[in-house]
Amino acid sequence: MSQAHRIAQAPGAVAEGDGLVAGLLATAALIGLATLIGLTMLSRGDVADIGLLYLMPVMFAAIRLGLKPGLAAGALSSAFYNYFFIPPRFTMIVGDPSHLVTLIILLGVALVGSQMATRLRQQATQAQAQAERDALLAGFAGRLMGVTRRDALWDLLAQEVAWLFGVRVLVAAPDARGIVDLVAARPDHGRLDLLEAAAAQWCLDSGRAAGPGGAVPTASEWLFLPVPGSQGPLAVVGVGDPTADLPLHGGQAPLLESLLAQAGLALARIALEEEKLAMGRVQERERLRSALLSSIGHDLRTPLTTVLGTLRALRPLNGQQAAALASARSEAERLERFVANLIEMVRLEIGALQREPEALDLAEACDAALDHLAPGGSIGAIEQAVAADLPLVLADPRLLHHCLINLIDNAARHGGGSAIRLEAQADAQGGVELAVCDRGPGIPPGEETRIFEMFTRLEGSDRQGGTGLGLAIVKGFAEAMGLRVSAANRAGGGARFVLFIPPALVRPVAAEA
Amino acid sequence: MTGQIDPGNASVLVIDDDPAIRALLHQTLAHAGYRVSEAASAAQALAQRAALAPDLALLDLGLPDRDGLEILPQLAAAGLAVVVLSARDATAEKVAALDLGASDYVTKPFDPEEILARVRTALRHRARLAGGVSSAGALLRFADVEIDLAARRVRKGGAEVHLAPKEYAFLAELAAHAGRVVTHAQLLRTIWGPGHETDVEYLRVAARGIRRKLESDRSPGQSALRNEPGIGYRLDLARG
Repeated sequence: MSQAHRIAQAPGAVAEGDGLVAGLLATAALIGLATLIGLTMLSRGDVADIGLLYLMPVMFAAIRLGLKPGLAAGALSSAFYNYFFIPPRFTMIVGDPSHLVTLIILLGVALVGSQMATRLRQQATQAQAQAERDALLAGFAGRLMGVTRRDALWDLLAQEVAWLFGVRVLVAAPDARGIVDLVAARPDHGRLDLLEAAAAQWCLDSGRAAGPGGAVPTASEWLFLPVPGSQGPLAVVGVGDPTADLPLHGGQAPLLESLLAQAGLALARIALEEEKLAMGRVQERERLRSALLSSIGHDLRTPLTTVLGTLRALRPLNGQQAAALASARSEAERLERFVANLIEMVRLEIGALQREPEALDLAEACDAALDHLAPGGSIGAIEQAVAADLPLVLADPRLLHHCLINLIDNAARHGGGSAIRLEAQADAQGGVELAVCDRGPGIPPGEETRIFEMFTRLEGSDRQGGTGLGLAIVKGFAEAMGLRVSAANRAGGGARFVLFIPPALVRPVAAEA
Repeated sequence: MTGQIDPGNASVLVIDDDPAIRALLHQTLAHAGYRVSEAASAAQALAQRAALAPDLALLDLGLPDRDGLEILPQLAAAGLAVVVLSARDATAEKVAALDLGASDYVTKPFDPEEILARVRTALRHRARLAGGVSSAGALLRFADVEIDLAARRVRKGGAEVHLAPKEYAFLAELAAHAGRVVTHAQLLRTIWGPGHETDVEYLRVAARGIRRKLESDRSPGQSALRNEPGIGYRLDLARG
């Protein structure tokens, strides 16, 4: 409590300890002085006038020392006055009732004087306390203005409250899920224990003070108060004082609430600034990404179109040229595939994929993908096992087309020249499974998931013309359409990639048109 | 696939802002016997059209001054066959171009052979329209299938095949535009009527029926009834 003097406690307190003793001694001396003066005046004046001499010590005690010392001074004065001056003198007996009036007046003066003085002192104390509070709030508000980050705000709040109120302080704020967590403390504090966390959470959720002296008492020694925000509390501040029953005294709670309100305003300002900053960053990122997209789209594709078109138009004059031309064409086609995949990946990453699902026939979709990959049938042997009564599926035609191209292309490059098998059938639950199978080396055990990650190339496959993007795009596109994708090894050797269309996206074939 | 069109009489306007692509297309078309002119912008394209009255425009949609889709209706209204050059992933753009009167599209990066095939088909179609000749009298063949549009009959290997009415209407509509893509919406509107433009599943079922009856012996990926994902169908008479 060494620093508690910074905040005035409940007004009305008067001199204590040494000050009181000194005051009482002074009062006694004044009473003695009044008696001596009275004794010298006795021969020349009225006894009643002498009574007035005692007003001075009574007033002194009442005003300087308070009600009880005032009354005591009044009683002592009355006794002295009675003993020394009121006949019969040197007894405590009052002969003439009119002298009683003087005694009562002395006590009355003590009463009224001490009350008036108390009121004045209260007003002065309050004015001083108000001025102190205003100064504190203004100072706190000023320091808050300089804070631009949340963690700095929490720290300042803990520091100021601890310093101003002479208490221990916890500051807890909700995380993304709304669960309170300690963000600052004075002095240092480990994690919130169960009781503390429960009280803090309750305070945050209800917006009411929880703990000793709060709206709801808790088992925790901490009094938690909300930091108010426009949409409910933004954080909670816990105050504790192990040396006292209650962490806060009468006058302190409203002041702390004012401080917390200030902190709430500062937090709202910081949140706004953060949002502005984040929005600026998002806009900048979006701008960069769409610039990248259009740059790849135009600046890479346009020259590729010329290169590929020229290579396709050229007619070799001899076998040597034919081989060179075929190699150049296949490399240019690989580059084109890479660019196309890169563009799709960027689209996927920035969430710019357009999805317009329509009813698709998987057999037809496979045909279209084969068409695209090998207009001349150069992809090699294809086995197709698609059920004749296969239901239609709801999917975006462009995305599914791209998935199938990438899967078949992958099978063609890693399948070791064997026939690629395309299977599609409905399962018992009403879903549809589309599988692309090859007879290549298969997938190393444990790589079935990683194979769909970006830039994953399995050992020994880097000479197969892969881009490291194809399967990642298959997965991204499939998931964007609500489909699942998986990879496994095939019975008898090779890999089997499966697109699974859940029952919700399956449309049974209607009656013949 | 040879034909009624003598390339020597047809002129093609190549509209693309990239000089290298223009040069490649110019060379490809000129080598095939077409008269070729070039435009690098929408403004130049409209000027060239007025000055030279070409038969066909190869139109890149990403022009520097205006969107290619904006001048497409003007070109089509002036009687040009328009073949659009468009990126592979621009499905909506292709459908929009076809709806605005484009005769066909070619996906970039293109194969010069494909450009020539599309140009030939588009010019043949334009000549048919100009001659006022209905395709109803034609006899179309692919593989061992024969479509007699006048008699409304389909034969496979000489034997008559019975198609459901909608299946026949579907096949006939594609045959009328043989070699060109017809959008899903166009097919649905023509065959099932207005209001059915988005009922794509009708087309899937009909296409499946036609393939089952006419192409059960075809290897995968070799159907003459080609679907262009998200765009439409094309009857490819060269298949077989």
